[in-house]
Amino acid sequence: MSMTRFCEELTALLPRLRRFARGLTQDSADADDLCQQTIERALKARQQWQEGTRLDAWVYRIMRNQWIDEVRARTRRSQTFAHEDEGMNVGVAGDRDAENRVELGNVERALQRLPEEQREAVVLVMVEGFGYKEAADILGIPQGTLTSRLGRGREALLRKLGEAA
Amino acid sequence: MKVTDEELMAYADGELSPVDAARIEAAVASDPDLALRLDAERKLRAALRGHLDPVAEEPVPDAWKAMIAAAAEEDKQVEERKVVSLAAARAEKAKKAAQDARETARARPFMQRWGTGVAIAASLALGVFMGTQLTLKGSVSDRDGTLVASGTLARGLDTQLAAASEEESLQILTSFQRRDGDYCRVFASGGTSGIACKDDRGWVLERTINGGTRQGTQYRQAGSANSELMAAAQDMAKGAPLDAEQEKAAKANGWKD
Repeated sequence: MSMTRFCEELTALLPRLRRFARGLTQDSADADDLCQQTIERALKARQQWQEGTRLDAWVYRIMRNQWIDEVRARTRRSQTFAHEDEGMNVGVAGDRDAENRVELGNVERALQRLPEEQREAVVLVMVEGFGYKEAADILGIPQGTLTSRLGRGREALLRKLGEAA
Repeated sequence: MKVTDEELMAYADGELSPVDAARIEAAVASDPDLALRLDAERKLRAALRGHLDPVAEEPVPDAWKAMIAAAAEEDKQVEERKVVSLAAARAEKAKKAAQDARETARARPFMQRWGTGVAIAASLALGVFMGTQLTLKGSVSDRDGTLVASGTLARGLDTQLAAASEEESLQILTSFQRRDGDYCRVFASGGTSGIACKDDRGWVLERTINGGTRQGTQYRQAGSANSELMAAAQDMAKGAPLDAEQEKAAKANGWKD
């Protein structure tokens, strides 16, 4: 594939990338920032992309790793500045924030409360439609780990949505 | 039949083989509780997609597309530069090939002359001993260790005149009388040239030169071979070669004094 086609395919991928970014971040501003950073990284690394492999999985991996970096950076910041009585959260939007956003839909709230590792597994398989193998590759984990996180995430979501219903 | 949560999940995610999927479907059909669980799985998926799919419907920011387009343009220019430098490299290569060819062409005449010289020297040295292997094979016989013309060669040497031999397979280049008075003839036949001298029993092949294989350099080699023979003939000859009248007279007299 020529680099011109790489760029064409990346452009075609943008709507899905944005959806995945929203699924990861659960915040539209964060999602768009993440998207922009991902595009920059993907373009910078475009010579490293190997023909014959899935471009979408490659870019999703870049996005997910970028997000993990961001989450870690935020966690460090919150560890430095947070009051001691404030609970720690792995994700961006904490339980307290979510509870305060009463206008949020049930699904969104349920997703926000999931641990990061369960949320990314659920989103990759159930929303983005990746198979177990591809999803595990994107996350860099064994398939068994993926299905276990997916199962726990799905159970938690069903429970929360069941409560809300 | 027991269906685990994992199996049901894998079924809902389309990860099962057709055989396993059929087994789950059968179990679901006969188990209302299982059907309920599968229904909840599907509702969850629909809810998640209902929540996130609209994001993919939003118009993509132009700035993102512009970033990618800029990169594509950059790549295009790199490609063009590559094509240009490739063309330049190709032109350079062609130039060098042409130069090499000229140099080889300049060197070749010497090489050919050298090669021809070697061939002549070799065939001069071997020709007498390898007479029966020459292209005159069948026209040469062995008489007490001496090579003697026979057949068509002998007839040609007897009858052909130097002037009239242009179109013949046998060419008589010249005729002369050697110091002992024997008549000799320089001939060329096919790839072989030689000097044959007539004694009272026939044409003895004094010298033969195998002109080598018939290739592009054939004419050059044959020419060189013949001039080599002519030089040898001059050394053997008593005076000048026979003119047409003398040759005709010698022939009429059976190449005897």
